[in-house]
Amino acid sequence: MRSIHFALLGVIAAIALIAAFEPRPALQAFDPVKHAPYKDTWAKRTHISYWEKWGSFERDACQAMVDDFNQNQDEVFAHYINTSQVNRKAMLAIVGGDPPDVVGLWANDLPPFAEAGALMPLDDLMAKSGLTRNYYTDDYLKLGEYNGKIYALPTTPTSVALFYNKEHFRRKAGKLRAAGLDPDRAPRTIEELDRYAAVLNEFDPDGSPKIMGFLPTEPGWFNFTWGYYFGGNLYDEATGTVTTDAPENVAAYKWLKSYAEAYGRESLLRFRSGFGNFDSPLNAFIEGKVSMEMQGVWFPNFIRRHRPHMEFGVAPFPTAEGVPGPMSQLDCDIIAIPRGCKNPEAAWQFVLHTQTRGLAILCRLHGKHMPIKNPPALYRQGHPNLELDVFEEVAASPHSFIMPRIGIWQEYLNELNRAFEHVWSWPVPESELAGLDGEARRAKIEQLCEAEIRATLANVRETMQKKLDAKRERDAARDSLRAGNSKTRPAPAKNGGGT
Amino acid sequence: MKRGITPYLFILPWLIALAAFIAYPFAASLYFSFCDFPPLQKPMAIGADNYVELVGDAAFHRSLGTTMIYAAIAIPLGVILAVTLAMLLNSRIRGLTFYRVIFYLPHLVPTVAVAILWMWIFNPQFGLINIILKPLLGMADWWTSAFRTWPVAAGVAAVALPGIIHSVWRRRSACGSDPSRARRPRCVRLAAAASSLSIAAVCLAGIALLNLLLNRAFPLDMDKLHSPGWLSDATPFPSSLPFAPPWALWGLIVMSMWGVGQMAVIYLAKLQDVPTELYEAADIDGASWWTKTWSITLPMISPVILFNVVMAIIGTFQVFAEPYIMTGGGPEEKTRFVAMFIYDQAFQYQRVGYASAVAWVLFLVIVGLTLLAFRVSRRHVYYAGR
Repeated sequence: MRSIHFALLGVIAAIALIAAFEPRPALQAFDPVKHAPYKDTWAKRTHISYWEKWGSFERDACQAMVDDFNQNQDEVFAHYINTSQVNRKAMLAIVGGDPPDVVGLWANDLPPFAEAGALMPLDDLMAKSGLTRNYYTDDYLKLGEYNGKIYALPTTPTSVALFYNKEHFRRKAGKLRAAGLDPDRAPRTIEELDRYAAVLNEFDPDGSPKIMGFLPTEPGWFNFTWGYYFGGNLYDEATGTVTTDAPENVAAYKWLKSYAEAYGRESLLRFRSGFGNFDSPLNAFIEGKVSMEMQGVWFPNFIRRHRPHMEFGVAPFPTAEGVPGPMSQLDCDIIAIPRGCKNPEAAWQFVLHTQTRGLAILCRLHGKHMPIKNPPALYRQGHPNLELDVFEEVAASPHSFIMPRIGIWQEYLNELNRAFEHVWSWPVPESELAGLDGEARRAKIEQLCEAEIRATLANVRETMQKKLDAKRERDAARDSLRAGNSKTRPAPAKNGGGT
Repeated sequence: MKRGITPYLFILPWLIALAAFIAYPFAASLYFSFCDFPPLQKPMAIGADNYVELVGDAAFHRSLGTTMIYAAIAIPLGVILAVTLAMLLNSRIRGLTFYRVIFYLPHLVPTVAVAILWMWIFNPQFGLINIILKPLLGMADWWTSAFRTWPVAAGVAAVALPGIIHSVWRRRSACGSDPSRARRPRCVRLAAAASSLSIAAVCLAGIALLNLLLNRAFPLDMDKLHSPGWLSDATPFPSSLPFAPPWALWGLIVMSMWGVGQMAVIYLAKLQDVPTELYEAADIDGASWWTKTWSITLPMISPVILFNVVMAIIGTFQVFAEPYIMTGGGPEEKTRFVAMFIYDQAFQYQRVGYASAVAWVLFLVIVGLTLLAFRVSRRHVYYAGR
């Protein structure tokens, strides 16, 4: 009996030993491709790993870009490793000292990664390869920049615009004309947008909405940007202060709240609960439940997939009276080389390809514009996105904006979304409205809402400013600690290790 | 000597795992809670700053409040439901094993599948609950308004009255009558039929009155109850009470009740342990069902109730997957439980140090509540062995 126990213990120990000392398989070891066109050069190539997001046709596009790189030179072979939650996995891999050679992140991730020194600065490599800052659209380059250094380069850019359902416009052409509006074009100001929306609305006999002309909560991804369309912003770079409750932002929230109040919070809640997923035929815009909405450059791909013959138009999203446009929030996916990777030179060779030839392949197959000032001459020919010029126009516009580049942005974003939901569903206290009707009641509602909006936004500003200041203090303490260390220790650890 | 070492050799693999995966992270998180620690950088000691920040952090207070309210409702409700279910499953009816399996099954379904299933059940427009609620309450409303017209009310009263009179009369005469007599007079059997009819009429009147009273007292809530927004609705219910959970939280509470089968099975095991002679003695003394439950059943299963309450306290303070999948913390952050708050701080906002501090506060809260449960239990829990 005893010997059986010892035998079992021995087996466990053996398994542990094998697990501990078994060498990690090399990238080139387990790829069936080595018997394909790369057979002759497989062994002498440098193999690099490229962790990147994407699924479905967007993944295929990325693979096409990587294949193009692998086929057109014989020194490096890039392995595209499709990774979900790539930012978190990359973070753990970098901390664990075994990062990929190239990683694709979201622009939001850059500040924490760059701050920690987890990415290689690319300025010198760019200069060596003749890649200049002027090559890029300014805002997209800025998304890969931190404290004046470039840590990542843009891959696929995004911009947003107003999508409108041309079938709905045509059906209501008479009514639109009667209201003094042109049914053959999209609204150009927020005021016009409201008037179009009012004509396009359709209700069931019981008063519940059937079609909404415009609904600020659909798709609900850009709720933090509305203030910009009224001339406001969320953060003042010059003074380093949070500006959530600037008068322009208050005006934007008042406008949003007017939709909730006009059509009833409860009935809109029920109406919205009937919308399907974004990537489905039951998407509110694709199904025709919402006539106009803010969406991104990726959206035509999904319309084509679920309702190929839908007639829709795209125009720059309207701005409030007196606010210069066209305007869009700009964002992008970025590509970077983690510090401590095994083959930085080969990695740069690949990144360079993703910024030139590869960039055109990827952006085209994604149906997007390019994040550079002068796309190749033939880029637009046969491009799958027929509305490309609108997105190119807003991306190049000096009025477009990127999200604030501050370390607490994720928290700020969360607070802004909470503020939006709070304002949207805030019930106007009935007790305050007793005895009022008509215009007096409407004015009172607006006054009450405005007070609540101001209080909510001021609260967000205070909370976030406090968090921002605290973060700055911590960062300063960390910097001074690092400076102190480097005096006593000549070679500080470059790789930001965790534990 | 050899005899001394051998047992430890056998538990060595477990000891190593304990040290590596429990003891070390436990100690490390305590250390990190006194540090500023973005995961990509080295931890930097900052004293008790994280704990000081916690005191003034409104987002943390919100999520702690959410968790507390959830615990305060879900734990007692879960215990009551599970005990009731266990007592039902303990009765002698046909197909009992089948019912036991059915009630335990939800516990075997993976959390993610449960969450997605309930998202559909809670859909305000197409969800199962609202599809049932709306016509049900609509019927109640229709009946209430019909009842308020005097001919209907008078008709119901006319049917109900003989039953009430009969039951009073029977109660009086019950003492003298002999229950074993085989045939009752025809008039008594007629009266019995009339009394069942009138019980129905009393119930109908009760529904009408209850609905009327509720609509008078909580007009907004009753209106909402016809078609609640559930997971996307941040308004509290009942709206007039302080600390009332929002509809979204009610959704999560209702959903958690689906899993009480697992608790019920534990109660059931203990229920079957209760000596039958206690019940027999009580029967001889003429105790009612309620007295037997209150004075025999509950005291006898009280150690298991304590065990389940302690497990539930620990469980509810760690609720994560359901709100993470179903609401993402919304609407208005009203379902962001503390466990989610910790996750966000560590992995979204890159603040492992702060997250560790919150985790330790959560740990202390759980320990405190568990100790409280044990302290309270000293007077109320009966251990047969002692």
